[in-house]
Amino acid sequence: MTNFGNGSSLTVADKYYSQYGLRARELKGSGKKIIGYLSVLGPIEILTAAGVVPFRLKGNVSEAITKGDAYMETIICPFVRNVFDAAIKGKFDFLEGMVLPHQCDSIDRTDDVWANNLQLPYWHYLNVPHVTDDPSIEFMKDILRLLIRSLEKLTGKKITDDDIAQAVKAHNENRQLMRDLYVLRKSNPPMISGTEMMKVLVAAMSLPVDESSALIKSVTEEVKARPMPANGKVPRIMLIGDQIDDVAIIDAIEGAGAHLVMDDLSIGSKMYWTDVDATPDPIQGIAERYLRKLKIPTTFVGDGNTYQENLEARFGHMKQFIKEFKVDGAILFIYKYCDPYGFDVPAMKSFIESGGTPVLYLEDEYSTSTLARVKTRIEAFLEMIA
Amino acid sequence: MAEERKPRTLATKAAASIPKFVRGNLAATLKAKEEGKKVADAYINDGQDEIIRAMDIVPAWGESFAGVCAAKREAEQYLRKAEADNFSRSLCTYATCTIGFDMWREELGGEMPPKAPWGGMGRPDMIIGSAQQLCDPRFKWPQATQHYLQDVPVYVGGMYYPQWDPNVDHHEQEEIYVKYARAELMELVRFCEKHTGKKMDWDRLSELVNLTEKTWDIFIDAYELRRAIPTPMDTGDAMNTMVPLTFNLATQEAYDFYKALYDELTEKIKNKQGVAENEKYRIVWGAGLPSWFALGDFHYFNEKGAVFPVEVTYRNCEKIERLDLPPTNDPLERIARRWVRMWTYWYDAARKRKGSIPKVERIISYIEEYKCDGVVFHSAFSCRSWHAGIVHQAQVLKKVYGDIPILIMEGDIVDISSYNEADTHNRIDAFIEALDAYKKRSQ
Ligand code: SF4
Ligand code: SF4
Repeated sequence: MTNFGNGSSLTVADKYYSQYGLRARELKGSGKKIIGYLSVLGPIEILTAAGVVPFRLKGNVSEAITKGDAYMETIICPFVRNVFDAAIKGKFDFLEGMVLPHQCDSIDRTDDVWANNLQLPYWHYLNVPHVTDDPSIEFMKDILRLLIRSLEKLTGKKITDDDIAQAVKAHNENRQLMRDLYVLRKSNPPMISGTEMMKVLVAAMSLPVDESSALIKSVTEEVKARPMPANGKVPRIMLIGDQIDDVAIIDAIEGAGAHLVMDDLSIGSKMYWTDVDATPDPIQGIAERYLRKLKIPTTFVGDGNTYQENLEARFGHMKQFIKEFKVDGAILFIYKYCDPYGFDVPAMKSFIESGGTPVLYLEDEYSTSTLARVKTRIEAFLEMIA
Repeated sequence: MAEERKPRTLATKAAASIPKFVRGNLAATLKAKEEGKKVADAYINDGQDEIIRAMDIVPAWGESFAGVCAAKREAEQYLRKAEADNFSRSLCTYATCTIGFDMWREELGGEMPPKAPWGGMGRPDMIIGSAQQLCDPRFKWPQATQHYLQDVPVYVGGMYYPQWDPNVDHHEQEEIYVKYARAELMELVRFCEKHTGKKMDWDRLSELVNLTEKTWDIFIDAYELRRAIPTPMDTGDAMNTMVPLTFNLATQEAYDFYKALYDELTEKIKNKQGVAENEKYRIVWGAGLPSWFALGDFHYFNEKGAVFPVEVTYRNCEKIERLDLPPTNDPLERIARRWVRMWTYWYDAARKRKGSIPKVERIISYIEEYKCDGVVFHSAFSCRSWHAGIVHQAQVLKKVYGDIPILIMEGDIVDISSYNEADTHNRIDAFIEALDAYKKRSQ
């Protein structure tokens, strides 16, 4: 396990954030198989149980797409395009393979493009359904079993129920540790800044679960031991979106005089807020978490008795976050060409606003090239809610 | 004021009769109330047609309505309406156009918004979406619509198929998918029963499944007549003649339409009547929904002696015997398996050619069977479902098949702001030159 030394865990997080994939490359050097995944639907428990290292891919918002456009249309989600560009440029050359869960058209329709052009030794498309009724849970279990069989082929090792139960336990602990760290954002001012938090979130998704847990725990201890910052009267912001995995937008928020105190991001609270239940058949708990507990717009939720009930089921947790983290304003940061989030905007925005919290909706690229415009809008929003 | 455009010249009588179908479908949604029928917002190729028809529910097709708005160049007002409530212009414009219309109709207390094409579309009593690999809007659009029609119940069912993977035998996974799709169709039956107050007539459903299978067969029989040289019908017409298959499946009218088309094409072949006066080049429409406001571009191709005897778009069916369906008396299983096999139909062929993919195998087979010299794709910016991956298809085609001329046009299905006629025609001219050079080289 990584030794973080005295008070250096935030520095370690910063290192893994800035040199993304550093640890995965080392682990590959020591004979580990690294399997990439792209979204919150990445089946991390199963990957861990298989003895491979799950590694979530990210792009680089400061780097222009130079190679990817030759393979992928510009009508695809800018995040997916940017990550693919990094992959095709060889930034993830330590990957043994990837698991691509069916999340959205941008991922689904580019499966061929990734698989054929990267030519990794291992490839698996995990056909996660969008609906959550009982037949869907059964189907999800069936497709998780297909994944298990294919991973067994890759590693030559059987994945037992016990392996899965152990992995579930390790990932639940990891999620609990991250939630403990989030608690430190509740104070006013928060004990950990949004920028620091982003670096921890990104570092965590690049590490094997035990190392990730050790890092998060150590960061929490380090942050707790710091002197409490002075009480300030600045707006407290929540950021909502899919894979926002860079500090640029957070710097823009915090640089304009606000605190980012909570998120509903797919590398953040979406990933860490709900655990897998320990069920006699461990696959059952995993299927239920991914379909029913994860709050993501690619899962259809709509069987409430009233529309209001549907809204509560889809976005109610955001109101809870607003209350618990004393959020003054929410920023929806949605990538262009993202149908799943894009179609949610009017409903999500009015739902949050109905609780009295102002919302700024931004549609943007996965790129810093448009940051100046975004900054101006954020500044105007913060002025409005100040 | 939208510019009045001359309708495109159609090659077949069948295509000329299509506006009647489209109008009829829209009118049915308006008349349903008088007839005591329920209306459901529905989405094409979801495998739900037989159930909807068997329950006497009138489908309201947003994709058709938005296409009509686009063809009449009336979509912009609805797109703006949706945009004003923060629907991005980068989302599926079929959805945003229809949602904009729905929002406006609600604001007017149920009255049709001004200039609603062909009398507009009726308010649904329910929304029947589908979560599947076809596209995200198939389940996000219903959800977004419910935001404005909050009393309207929504059902979204799943119907998936094994994703293509050259290293996986999809046949081994088929049962998982059929079992799931069947269970979800059963959930749809329950939903329809609940919201119509009627019980499913299972015999009627079986009859409609038979009728649908017969319709798939006659559709393919008719379309395969287009192999003839000169071709008696091209994609310009097929963008019309797809309507009964797509929007009227599981009705006798749809079957009769393709029977009539079959007879008409047979007659044309006998008389050697082609689409183009002097057919010189034959092209596969490789993928992509068309720009509904610019269907005249097909005519532009025809004027240059170029015809499209075959297209991938809207040919979402296969000859039933080729699908080799095992016998069963369960209509839901028949629907489920037919669709799973349809979506995976080209997998075996792709597995046989190293580096290939099913979509490319389909194009190759069309190139060969319809004696084509080139491939045209249309990339519509607002729909990832059919249009993401077109560049890849073109690359794989070149790699596994050879250096055949390929044109990728860029535009949209509904949003006219993406279109420039002069540029498009210039690109077509250059492509025709490439086709000419290719033909000369290969002679
Ligand atoms: S941002 Fe949207 S389109 Fe992009 S990967 Fe996420 S869900 Fe898919
Ligand atoms: S297939 Fe494309 S055009 Fe049709 S509804 Fe889906 S996203 Fe829209």
